[in-house]
Amino acid sequence: MNSRTLLWLVPCLIVWAVLPFVVPRYMADLLVFTGIYTVAGLGIGLLLGHCGIVNLAQATFYGLGAYASAYCTVMMGLPSIVGFIAGAAISMALAYVIGRPILRLTGYFLALGTLALSAIASALFFEWDWLTGGTLGIGGIPKLDLFGFLLDRPSRYYFFVWIVAFACMAVAHNLVDSRTGLMLRSMRDSSTAAAALSIDLQTLRTKVFVVCALFGSLAGSLFAHHASFVSTQSFTVDRSISFLLIPVIGGATSIPGIVVGALFVTFLPELLSKLGDIHQILFGLALVAVVVLMPDGLVGAFGRLRTRLARRGNSNG
Amino acid sequence: MTLSLVLQALFAGVTNGIVYALVGMGLSAIFKGSRVINAMQGEFAVIGAMTTVLLLTKAGWPYAAAIAGGAVAGALVGAFIEVAFVRYMAKKSASEDSFLLLTIGLALSLSASILYFVGRDGHLLPPLGGEGVLIVMDAVIQFHALWLIAIGIGATLALRAFYHRTTIGLSMMAASIDADGAATTGINVARMRTFTFVLGGLLGALGGILVTPLIGVDYQLGLNLTLKGFAAAVLGGLTNPLGAAVGGLTLGLVESLAIIGISSSYKDVVAFSVLIVIMILMPQGILGRAGRRGG
Repeated sequence: MNSRTLLWLVPCLIVWAVLPFVVPRYMADLLVFTGIYTVAGLGIGLLLGHCGIVNLAQATFYGLGAYASAYCTVMMGLPSIVGFIAGAAISMALAYVIGRPILRLTGYFLALGTLALSAIASALFFEWDWLTGGTLGIGGIPKLDLFGFLLDRPSRYYFFVWIVAFACMAVAHNLVDSRTGLMLRSMRDSSTAAAALSIDLQTLRTKVFVVCALFGSLAGSLFAHHASFVSTQSFTVDRSISFLLIPVIGGATSIPGIVVGALFVTFLPELLSKLGDIHQILFGLALVAVVVLMPDGLVGAFGRLRTRLARRGNSNG
Repeated sequence: MTLSLVLQALFAGVTNGIVYALVGMGLSAIFKGSRVINAMQGEFAVIGAMTTVLLLTKAGWPYAAAIAGGAVAGALVGAFIEVAFVRYMAKKSASEDSFLLLTIGLALSLSASILYFVGRDGHLLPPLGGEGVLIVMDAVIQFHALWLIAIGIGATLALRAFYHRTTIGLSMMAASIDADGAATTGINVARMRTFTFVLGGLLGALGGILVTPLIGVDYQLGLNLTLKGFAAAVLGGLTNPLGAAVGGLTLGLVESLAIIGISSSYKDVVAFSVLIVIMILMPQGILGRAGRRGG
């Protein structure tokens, strides 16, 4: 870490630490959601940016995490950590079992295969009401209790969620920077060449899919403890789509991009909703505009702008 | 399980299957002509059906004219999307995924527009051929379902004739098989792609209009139809619009057999599981290589 990184990292951290105390409560709430969505979006970003896989099934794992937490704490009266672990274990096992065959598909087929998976899961969440409470949902999920410190306000929960998010970012960063990351990139850019270098594509893709599911499940558990109430409406195909938008809008290959994407997905609908019911249309159009005009996402577009400005500065000077 | 129940399920399966087939045929026509998976294919159905509803009830058009209006609306939206978005992105050689995301964004915008401008209520159209029913061995079939099946088969045959007999259809096929080759023989490849979207919009709208007397159309219908249409297209081999017709029928029948065999609430679960399994085991579709040649 050189001094230039510190130069922008320190102010960012200060803003991050002060933010929940200065903004109104509803915004602190949105910031908590930004953290939760960052965790969920990180996994999709890994798949999209480093494996070229469009995952439209994240709401499935998000739902599994949330229901595991809800069921373990409310129905069985177990400590919340059990819910986190159970959700993660179930999600990773499912991702492995389903990932193995489904990741043999490529391109559109894979994207729509995962979309079908999400549709199946959302139908099952609805049907298995003995487990999920169906549309009535499960209420009264306790707030998290960290060694006697109750995280019952958005401003408190904010720090917990974001520390989890930073930990996930560190995991993602290490994964990308490691030997695995290099293998992933070679696989994305030329799968034939990678296979010729004896990289087991199938195992590698499954591995990243499992990591993605783990992040999804963690985000789901965090969501359950924040909202105190989970029901089928939160885990539909629409949610899978909005999770996919996080890396798409922010930029799939950059980790800060995921945060930008998560901010976009949580704050933009809220800001637009001041304009009345028309906000959903505007959100859809904003997405179209990003896809058409900025194929590398907001962070990519910003990077290009900076390069262009730097080049102009050089030619003038 | 009685015979009449099975018969009833078969009729329901064929009826739904034809609707999936029409949506799937549109999706597959667009994929064939532009290599774009259109995730807003179901929205074409919603646009077609909603326009017909509004022309009929608000503008007071006669039913036949309203149906024509709905179909034209679907075709126009298809043309608009190609000219306004796909053409620009194709010029910048955007990736497969970008096109998918584009159409997802358009689907979100359109479904939100329907919610905003029309409201969240479902709307029904009057059934073609009146309210009457036909009773075969205690199984009840609405006259409308018979019309739907007839029109669906007619549209499939017309599509086949269009691709094989008309100059435009042959040019579209040529442009999709070899764009450079087609361009050297004087075919306007970009325009053919526009026509492809017009065709996709038309077929989607037709599917939507035909299903609306059976299921009310609302802003949420699009996504489900897109998924079913995609399943139909994949079953048929994706690049073959006529294969999608076979795929749609298969899907409809599998679904209705699942309803009598398991439970109606697992209909979608079965349909989408079949989709995933077929994609993995039979990537060429259920017709195999033979299906690729046709259409």
